[in-house]
Amino acid sequence: MSRYLLRQLSLLLVTLWLLTLLAFSLGHWFSGDFITNTSGIFPEDIRFAETAEARAAEAGIVNQYTAYLGHLFRGDWGLSLLDGEPVFEQIALRFGATLEIALIAFVIAIVLGIPLGVLAALYFRKAVDHTILTISLSGYSIPVFWFAQIAILIIAIQWGLVPIAGQINPLYEITPRSGSIILDILLEQPEHMTEALHSAFLHMILPVCILAIMPMMLIIRLMRNSMLDVLSQNYITSGYAKGLSIARVLWNHALPNAMQHVMRQIGALISLLITNTMIIEVIFSWPGLGSWLVRSIYERDYPVIQGGLLVISAVILLITIALNIFHAWRYPQVRKDLYGAN
Amino acid sequence: MAQTNLYYEERSPAPLEMVWLEFKSKPLAMAALYMLLFISVLTLIGPLLTPYGANEQFIDAISLPPAWSESGNIRFLLGTDELGRDMVTRIIYGARYSFGLPILVVLISATIGIALGAAAAMTVGVKSSTLKHLLDVLMSIPSLLLALIIVAILGPGLNNALIAIGLVLIPQFLHVTRNAVHDEQKRAYVTASKLNGVSQFYLLSHVIFPNIIKVLVVQFTIGLSVAILDIAALGFLRLGAQAPTPEWGSMLAQSLEVAYVSPWIMALPGLALFLTLVSVNLVGETLRVAINRQLER
Repeated sequence: MSRYLLRQLSLLLVTLWLLTLLAFSLGHWFSGDFITNTSGIFPEDIRFAETAEARAAEAGIVNQYTAYLGHLFRGDWGLSLLDGEPVFEQIALRFGATLEIALIAFVIAIVLGIPLGVLAALYFRKAVDHTILTISLSGYSIPVFWFAQIAILIIAIQWGLVPIAGQINPLYEITPRSGSIILDILLEQPEHMTEALHSAFLHMILPVCILAIMPMMLIIRLMRNSMLDVLSQNYITSGYAKGLSIARVLWNHALPNAMQHVMRQIGALISLLITNTMIIEVIFSWPGLGSWLVRSIYERDYPVIQGGLLVISAVILLITIALNIFHAWRYPQVRKDLYGAN
Repeated sequence: MAQTNLYYEERSPAPLEMVWLEFKSKPLAMAALYMLLFISVLTLIGPLLTPYGANEQFIDAISLPPAWSESGNIRFLLGTDELGRDMVTRIIYGARYSFGLPILVVLISATIGIALGAAAAMTVGVKSSTLKHLLDVLMSIPSLLLALIIVAILGPGLNNALIAIGLVLIPQFLHVTRNAVHDEQKRAYVTASKLNGVSQFYLLSHVIFPNIIKVLVVQFTIGLSVAILDIAALGFLRLGAQAPTPEWGSMLAQSLEVAYVSPWIMALPGLALFLTLVSVNLVGETLRVAINRQLER
């Protein structure tokens, strides 16, 4: 296990290093001046000379990279070309907002998806199974940006149940601290806290539900297939033969084993979730990383592109490695496979 | 003359026939197959069928609802958009951008990826597992994010979006091909061919390739679904196809301003996209099931 742990951690370091290399090269690949691209300070600015000095503009590319790494670790990620905001602080704020909806959507997807998948497997090739499977396959194919628009049109505009965009009604003055709106309200302790929480909840419900749908459909299918595999095993039959109740067999014997296959696919699930989060944020004007990144690409705001890409990719890599390690720790047979018979 | 079998004969259908039987046993899969055929026909000869040009404007018919509603006009079956352009025409033209171009892109990246993957598996190069793990981890970055990076470097536009999606798909094909060839190389029949003294190229093209083609076909449908969705998503984010192009994603993006007044402008391109994606995914899923069933035998 420790060998595997070391290997995964070194892998993480190498990939993160490659990522910084990529982000650094982007500064050169974008059109325009390298210093402006990475620091967000225009040549006309009085600070330009000292920034160029600090970022080793005249020195060789290796020195530039070292200077870039130094700035990166100090949290000096440059200024946005568009509004002059420091990139690192903006990322810290927006990361909370993104994490908030992504995490809630993920939990909803798991909590609803797994029982539905199990249900489909239990009623294999019956009407329940066919219905769940058809819904999950078509739900998986709905382009999320279209689905979000339809949902806004019907639920938010036609019925007027929820607001269209944003995090909270601007009447409530909530200073962003962590980016996550619920946490911010709890930290701020405003006068009308219940109303503020209610407003935040109403703003959140639509994006989160739409976000949860695609991962949920994937979980249903994964869960159904792996549950079918497990249910045909001998130990399930022997469990019933021992006289255990159905719930007991499912909960203690079938589910833990079926979860193993699902766990293996969780990485793919999360990358799907992150892709959709970026699109959903744009649609709902959610002040998160994704909408910020997309806008920066459109406006060619180079420091923001670099920072945003670095953070999102790094998070995905961290999650992937963490999942690998968890998988190897939780399921010893995977470890056996890794060390192999060689 | 009726054919009579005197002897009990077990006849196992050919692999392709079995796939066909699997399709025929599922009405939904058949519907998806016909849907794909229909879209392909539209992609090929669409402009011959449409009465108007894709960007032809009718000043007298702006934001007309579909023909079956009260203020509709039969000249414009599915209505017109806010600039007076016929929706049917634009959606049929859009099939070229949203279905034809992704197919071309996936074909090109499949060719490159499969060639590289086969070369990687056949040559005794860097066989270290480290490289494989590195690729695994890097491939966990979602395709849309990678495409965004490439679009960020190249700048927005349909061509750049296509290049980005193509580049993103190559490693996936490479990976699948490499693993498939690698798995097959341990089989007895490959060893037998090697003992027969066949050349490396013959081994790959005539011995191994026919056995991994089914894996590649499934990967192709997955890649196609990803490409269609991502190109439309880039179009929707206004980073792909630009304004007057009748690409479904960018049509959706343009319809946002008028979605409340004339919802059909928004609903139709999305519906077309949805139907295409469902068909591709259903066909892919059925192929996968059929192939798995063959492997079980």
